[in-house]
Amino acid sequence: MNRQISFTQSILLGFLGLACFLGFWQGMSMSGLVSEIFLPSPVEVYERFMTLLDRRFAGATLPGHLAASFQRFAYGFLLAAAIGIPLGLLMGWYQLLDEIVSPLFDALRFVAPIAWVPFAALWFGTGIGGPIMIIFAGAFPPCVINAYRGAKFVDPRLIEAANMLGTPSRRVIMEVLLPSSVPSIISGLRVSAGLGWQSLVGAELIVASAGVGYMMVQGQANIQTHTVMAGMVAIGLVGLALDSALRGLERYIQKRRGLDH
Amino acid sequence: MGVIQFKNVGKTFGPRDSGFVALKDIDLEIRDKEFVAIVGPSGCGKTTCLRMVAGFENATDGVVSVDGTPIKRPGPDRAVVFQQFALFPWKTVYDNIDLGLRNLNVSGSERSSRIEAILNLMNLTQYAKHFPHQLSGGMQQRVAIARAYVLDPDVLLMDEPFGALDAQTRVVMQEELVRLARKNPRTVLFITHAVEEAVYLADRVAIMTRAPGRIKEVLDVASIRNAEDWDSHEKIEDVMDLESFVHLRTHIWRSLREEKAAQHA
Amino acid sequence: MQRRVSIGLATILIVCALWYAATAMFGIIPPGRFPSPAETWSALVHVSGRGYGGGDLTMHVYNSLRLVVMGFLFAIATGVPLGLLMGWSRKAEAFINPIFLIIRPIPPLAWIPLAILWLGLGDAAKIMVIWFSAFVPSVINTFAGVRNIDRPVLEAAYMLGMPKIRFVSEVLIPGASPMIFTGLRLSLQASWTTLVAAELVGAFYGIGRVLNVAQQDLYPGMILVGMIAVAILGWGTTRVLGMAEARALRWNTAALAAKG
Repeated sequence: MNRQISFTQSILLGFLGLACFLGFWQGMSMSGLVSEIFLPSPVEVYERFMTLLDRRFAGATLPGHLAASFQRFAYGFLLAAAIGIPLGLLMGWYQLLDEIVSPLFDALRFVAPIAWVPFAALWFGTGIGGPIMIIFAGAFPPCVINAYRGAKFVDPRLIEAANMLGTPSRRVIMEVLLPSSVPSIISGLRVSAGLGWQSLVGAELIVASAGVGYMMVQGQANIQTHTVMAGMVAIGLVGLALDSALRGLERYIQKRRGLDH
Repeated sequence: MGVIQFKNVGKTFGPRDSGFVALKDIDLEIRDKEFVAIVGPSGCGKTTCLRMVAGFENATDGVVSVDGTPIKRPGPDRAVVFQQFALFPWKTVYDNIDLGLRNLNVSGSERSSRIEAILNLMNLTQYAKHFPHQLSGGMQQRVAIARAYVLDPDVLLMDEPFGALDAQTRVVMQEELVRLARKNPRTVLFITHAVEEAVYLADRVAIMTRAPGRIKEVLDVASIRNAEDWDSHEKIEDVMDLESFVHLRTHIWRSLREEKAAQHA
Repeated sequence: MQRRVSIGLATILIVCALWYAATAMFGIIPPGRFPSPAETWSALVHVSGRGYGGGDLTMHVYNSLRLVVMGFLFAIATGVPLGLLMGWSRKAEAFINPIFLIIRPIPPLAWIPLAILWLGLGDAAKIMVIWFSAFVPSVINTFAGVRNIDRPVLEAAYMLGMPKIRFVSEVLIPGASPMIFTGLRLSLQASWTTLVAAELVGAFYGIGRVLNVAQQDLYPGMILVGMIAVAILGWGTTRVLGMAEARALRWNTAALAAKG
């Protein structure tokens, strides 16, 4: 690999990079090359973000929209985990179930989650039910796939060792199979939280009458680019928080098992 | 020509005054077409010596030079054979060997004749179209040696080349290397922690100590080899049975063990 | 394998039979909720013949496919070189990474309103969001791919005295290619999701447009046709990519097989 650089050098370069990025953005919007309506400066976006914290737009303040979005996300995500993880584990343990479910699952996997929007709206309406279903559609596959992998690819020597010790099969499941699939399950949750969150945004752009996505669509309709960008910032922040929470969980579990270094 | 020279060479990793001193006051000259092995315990800095000749690391003190020119960067005049083979897994055996010649802008017809010759010499002809991962470890290391030899380098650097092979393959490769080195002498710097290997292969053996790495002793094997006519024996086990061989080996073992004892004291 | 295929086929047949029974025979699922096989067929005939939502099926499929391929190729053409640069140069990595850390958490779908504001409802906005969604995985995986190349292999390349261009084309790119392809598969998936979403939000043609109009018309048969079309397109393009991957990584499949 190319030459190593010192820590201070990398921090300096990082700040330089950010400064270039923000400076270019600010410069573009100030120079008048691009109309300010379409490219508000970073400062304006920041101000708009702060304003939206306590002023209503499209029916609620930004925290209000976020709360609505997050509620939907939590339902959809938890539902996906509650159904997907057990299904994946069972598929990993019982070959027949795997053989029955896999073809269906593979066929459905190629339907982009967002393509469920029309049926979701038709079946569960555009309030809370429809969006939850779309989040579910986004978050479900990684839950299943990772639980399946975790259960299927347990080191066979561990099972042999448990059998050699005369462990009853129930206990093998609870004390060998389940714990050894935990890391894979958790990383599946991380992927599925990301996809679920992204599907939520999509769902709210298309159907919904509250939530950050809805706020952004309204901003777009009113040609308020700074509102749209403030919404993107909020979505990014929540996504980041979700990811770091799950990453924290991952690390905590590794640490408890003495796998951290 | 290919004379490797270490002059008061030192290497410190990290800050100069508080870092880890890996090598100190290394003085060694390897003559043209001479085969020198460095033996020592792991972590004594023997690999660092080789990497400095290769140009992967720079000396923090003193000068490492080949034919009087201080080394700045890696280059095909100093071919390296790595412990982990380091073949390009996406290239066939043939293309792996070809790459260095292409970099040297050797003409097409000469390239193919040189590659044919080395493939033949290393018994690799039938594997020319194989990818490295389709070959056993011993075969892969043959390819790596061929890749280095085909460049006709002044200096050949071998970093524990047989360390990753199983014992039987190792013996075969050692015999083959002796055959190659006698037929096609080169300046070779050979790193190993296996004492027998060093004595069997090298003209001179340098014994290194640890923390900081220094050269403790340099043994002349070649004179004994010639005097006792080791090369008249074809099999490695016959050579290893000779009294002169056993004597040298025991001497090195003792030297290394004294080192260990000194550290524990 | 034999067993797996036959069980799979049986499952799909049973599901189709159940679908027919629940919709057409016993009417357990009301017609307004989910179409019967016959309704789906007639919707397919409808959209292929007379057309629906502004064009016939071929036209919608062609336009969706065209946009995905363009956005995807554009993303590869920009993302892979950037990933190579970041993987190769620690300085470039330090410079670019923080910008990425800021942009990356924003899901590609969240760019749709901005793209529409900037570029309207036409093709340009869609290509922009597809490019964006496919760009990020391309960069990240290419970067990781370069960093994953074994150090001794790189040293062997230095030792052989490679000219720069040859080093990039014969060492960096092939060395990173297993990860690059992983990235491309993710990119392709993201491209389809983003395209469908963008077309659902607003478009003049495309599969998403069909879905959108069908939703407004409460036309379940057409919704299902649209979804099946999306699935087949996604599957087909993934297959093509998979074939390219198998070709490009022949040496690697050998490696994986050797490792067992």
